[in-house]
Amino acid sequence: MNNVHEELKAVSQFLTEYATCLMASGVHTSRIVRNTARIAESFGFEAHMTLFHKTINMTLRSKDNAHVYSTVSAAKSGAINFEFNSELSALSWEAYDNHLSLDTLWEKYKTITGKPRMNEWKVWILVGFANASFCRLFNGDWIAVAAVFVATLVGFRLKQILGKHHINHYFVFTISAFVASLIASITMWQQWGTTPDIAIGASVLYLIPGVPLINGIIDIIEGHVLAGTARLINALLLIVCIAFGMAITLLMMGGKLL
Amino acid sequence: MINWQIVGSVVADAIGAAIAAIGFAVISNPPRRAILYAALLAAVGHSIRFVLLKYAGLDLASASFIAAFSIGMLSLWAGYRIFCPATVLYIPALLPMIPGMYAYRTVFSLIKFLQSSGNDNDAIHYLLEIFKNGITTASVLFALGVGATIPIFIFYKRAFSMTRTANRVKK
Repeated sequence: MNNVHEELKAVSQFLTEYATCLMASGVHTSRIVRNTARIAESFGFEAHMTLFHKTINMTLRSKDNAHVYSTVSAAKSGAINFEFNSELSALSWEAYDNHLSLDTLWEKYKTITGKPRMNEWKVWILVGFANASFCRLFNGDWIAVAAVFVATLVGFRLKQILGKHHINHYFVFTISAFVASLIASITMWQQWGTTPDIAIGASVLYLIPGVPLINGIIDIIEGHVLAGTARLINALLLIVCIAFGMAITLLMMGGKLL
Repeated sequence: MINWQIVGSVVADAIGAAIAAIGFAVISNPPRRAILYAALLAAVGHSIRFVLLKYAGLDLASASFIAAFSIGMLSLWAGYRIFCPATVLYIPALLPMIPGMYAYRTVFSLIKFLQSSGNDNDAIHYLLEIFKNGITTASVLFALGVGATIPIFIFYKRAFSMTRTANRVKK
């Protein structure tokens, strides 16, 4: 009797940790639910959960419905991490197919989540190239591309540094957008090249929160409307911050863009 | 007769999209094995959209939908090969098509609209800009999300078990 309850408790401790980690890594809602339920099933339990942006409610129950264990846990904040998404999904299948013990699961989970992120300088330079080629896709001339490259490098580095100090998200986005667009606006001020407006417009696009935007849409079509709307509103607020940062630059330049 | 100028512009578009996809993908720290596949998917998808926009006369939302659908289908193939969830591959591949420029123009026109007090002509102009850009942003985003997710609904059994290694040899 008591044993079942202890087991439910131990499993649900792992599952809440697992689900909050997936949530922080930028996984869409239905996958979190599916993966978590899959691991629960390998123990012969059923997991049912409600996900909100800040909290996860989970009820774990034995198949005969005689024992129930519920948890409410705060969602962790963290950077999007698709490697966790991929490896933790694989872990859920491994648990399902091989009936891994809870200790093994914890061990594997710790190994996966202990992996370091890609070197920040590597990311930095790749983002610079990405945004520069983005400017090219919008038919910017080569001077605009070069300006966007420099603006992105400075702006993204600033975002990385501010992010390390856990400064408010919205503030970081506003400042990074302001600095990047200010640097790109030198082309307009000095009248370099023929497409300074594209340079200024593209210089902040590395900040656009693409992952929550797409995740929000996926959530909504899969029926998790509330979770999806929350993601979209969050992304929208960040876009407002980006526009606000740019607006400061444009006010300084006399606001001739558009 | 092959028009090399067209081929050149399509290839340039594909390369640009691939570089953009790699750069925007690494922000989300994908598994290393997924990066090149995401770039390939982005290149194919973006050049499909480029051709549809430029030579088939489609609007941005419809072209994005078809491109996203192709990316979704390819992500099922690629994800199965490298044991990755489809979303890990197709979200980075869709990033270069996110209508960021339209999104920021929407908000920016909103700011300009607020500043245009007393001048109705300006106000109407910016109101139109808000709607034009806002509707484009919303419909393209929706087209991207839906287009890439439809293949997963069709082949859901395969899509849900792509990271499953049982009965398959992991390379």
